[in-house]
Amino acid sequence: MTSQTATSLQSQASAGEGIRALRRLVGRIGFWFLIILILIYTLFPFYWAINSSFKGENEIIAPATYFPQRPTLVNYQAVFSNDQFVRSLGNSTVVAGTTTILALVVGSFAAYALGRLRFRGRTFMLYAVLAMTMFPQISILSGLFAIVTELGLFGTQGALMVTYPLITLPFTVWTLTSFFRGLPGELEQAALVDGATTFQTFYMILLPLTAPALVTTGLLAFISAWNEYLFALTFTLINPAARTVPVAIALFGGTVSRQEPIAEIMAASVVVTIPLIVLVLIFQRRIVEGLTAGAVKG
Amino acid sequence: MIAQRQREATGTDALAVILLALLFVGLAVGAFVLLGASINAAVVEADAGEVFGTTLLRFLNVYGIIVPLILIGVGIYLLMLGTRLFRRDVRAAAWAHQLLLWMLIALIVAIIQGTVNALTAPALESGDSLAPIVPFLLAALVIGVAYWWLGQNTGLFRGSETLAEASSRSAWNLLLPTIIVLLVVAARPLERTFISSLTDQKFARRTDPSFVGLANYAQLLGFRIDSIPCERDGAGVCEVGADGQAVFPRARDVLGESYREMRYREIGSGIRVGDSQVLLSVRDRDFYYSVGNTLYFTVVSVVLELVLGLFIAMVINSKFVGRGLMRAAMLVPWAIPTVISARLWEIMLRDNQSGVINSLLVNTGLLSSSQAWLANPNLQIPAMIMIDVWKTTPFMALILLAGLQVISTDIYEAADVDGASKARQFFQLTLPLLRPAIAVALVFRTLDAIRVFDVFQVLLGRAKLSMATYNYEILVNNQELGYASAIGVIIFIIIFMFALVYMRILGVNAE
Repeated sequence: MTSQTATSLQSQASAGEGIRALRRLVGRIGFWFLIILILIYTLFPFYWAINSSFKGENEIIAPATYFPQRPTLVNYQAVFSNDQFVRSLGNSTVVAGTTTILALVVGSFAAYALGRLRFRGRTFMLYAVLAMTMFPQISILSGLFAIVTELGLFGTQGALMVTYPLITLPFTVWTLTSFFRGLPGELEQAALVDGATTFQTFYMILLPLTAPALVTTGLLAFISAWNEYLFALTFTLINPAARTVPVAIALFGGTVSRQEPIAEIMAASVVVTIPLIVLVLIFQRRIVEGLTAGAVKG
Repeated sequence: MIAQRQREATGTDALAVILLALLFVGLAVGAFVLLGASINAAVVEADAGEVFGTTLLRFLNVYGIIVPLILIGVGIYLLMLGTRLFRRDVRAAAWAHQLLLWMLIALIVAIIQGTVNALTAPALESGDSLAPIVPFLLAALVIGVAYWWLGQNTGLFRGSETLAEASSRSAWNLLLPTIIVLLVVAARPLERTFISSLTDQKFARRTDPSFVGLANYAQLLGFRIDSIPCERDGAGVCEVGADGQAVFPRARDVLGESYREMRYREIGSGIRVGDSQVLLSVRDRDFYYSVGNTLYFTVVSVVLELVLGLFIAMVINSKFVGRGLMRAAMLVPWAIPTVISARLWEIMLRDNQSGVINSLLVNTGLLSSSQAWLANPNLQIPAMIMIDVWKTTPFMALILLAGLQVISTDIYEAADVDGASKARQFFQLTLPLLRPAIAVALVFRTLDAIRVFDVFQVLLGRAKLSMATYNYEILVNNQELGYASAIGVIIFIIIFMFALVYMRILGVNAE
């Protein structure tokens, strides 16, 4: 509120003061009510997973209760003694890690060129990268399938490492480009005047400045590779040993009974999601910046 | 390079420049010869009286479209570079230097790969298996020497490279790895998909596919609209069935041989026009259903996400204690892998009182009895929408929130002073100013929703298909690679059209 409106408020009769205070109070209560409602809406399903993961075999199929009546760790024990699941954790880490590093190395070169250098064809390349961020993976599934088979990678993690740049690279280039563009230009010019080559300017001066952006972009790339399902499902179909986490959870089968092990699936889901949520909590401000970069300013 | 002093070429130097130029001309000729040889190979293999399509297909299957095009482009470029080197152009020399470096890197990679293959190949004499590497080694040696020589002798070339030209050269250098990766993972698979969509290729079968032209597309998209007259009684009046409606014969009984042969099936119940019924029939009913399901899912979920996301963004767009925490909480659904969120909701949507949604709705009296959300055909897509809305609304809200935060608060104060109501402020100030953010969020989400795969595949499998799960089912379970490719191409075209709209709205800030 500006000082003008504040003084005009003060100058009014004090009889209205009480009513206004009351209205403000109601407004406050309504506001916090909405906030809590939104929080419940966004967090409840995850709470439900945690809740279910502590329930025993009988309780899980009984009418729903909001707290586990007899909390048990048996589901977590089952999950961690499930070789397939544990192996899938390792697979996902390797695949997502490799993909992220590749995307950052290759992508930061391209982003530097697009963000800091002037050259003919730059606009075209920017459009091409933007178009690639929207590339529909499903539509080239059969073509990739044929290529992956020819390369002898069908059913291996290699198939995923080779194909995931399609998902991570364009997005990495696009986000990093907007970060590079936001850096001040004087540093670079000074370096060029001092006789540094373009490449030296890039890795000695600009790259250290973009370290935070690299962390954010890398995190986003890691999450998208970690969560990818379509390629993972298709290319590891014949080889359960190469499955990643999403596939393992989608095809999660019981070790003991034939019945679908709901509580175990929930325990596995919690195990997989907790690290992601911790990362998101730590980097939330930067992630929001990264996600909305380019989306708002264009 | 710019700073180096120019010198006059002596005899050996002049010869070296000519050799270098010849190297590039030679490489260009090599590219054309390679192209010619590959075309020749495809033609030579052709049987007598073979259809041209089959020959073309064999060529495309092996070499594709992109590789020959690149060969032609590279050939022309190298030829030009060679002639400019003859003229001792320093800019050409700079590009040549760069190209030699990339070629050297490519050759070294090829040599390493060859060696690894030779060493890991079982039961082969090492002399034999290492033989293919030798030409690569020789080429690497030549290129390496040329690279080294050029690095030492840039002074022999005339003219100077401006700063802008140098930075343009660095830019393309830096972009090259990205371009190569995208060619390999996107362009090549896309062309493969397109090529196999013209064949009857099966997955994992050794038989040679044959060229079928556009038959896959005809099968996929084929539809016809017929007008069927009603069954008439003796007096020529339409017969009326037990439900009081006119009785129509079944389409396949009256529409003749071709209708049955082409496997047309009616879709929907048709529209009554006078004494006839106008009926839509399609050849691949599952595909049309999948398109319908996807559209239904896309439109409803995107609209809901926009409305809800806008509401949430407006609520959090004020300063309050714990706003950071609130934002973090909103990222939780986004961070949870889609597969996991699908399974989370699968448990919440269980069809008896152990499912919390049913339990909640029945206990509060909103539902009279538990619903089978994932088994009831009428509730399956609403359930998918429910999951998608939960998962992506927070993301939508964050994009809109970023848009809201760049709107200056001054205009609201001015509006307050003018006595504009809050509702009017929303419709006449907030919405118009938020339009760019809304447009971006909308198209982003629309594109995502059209290619929805994960939730449908995990929760519904074959029970109800989206376009993406239909493609997957045809490819993996029916093993119809050719037909699946045609579906992929259609999906690509649909999404490409949306992407064009998106880019027009968003534009690229390329000042």
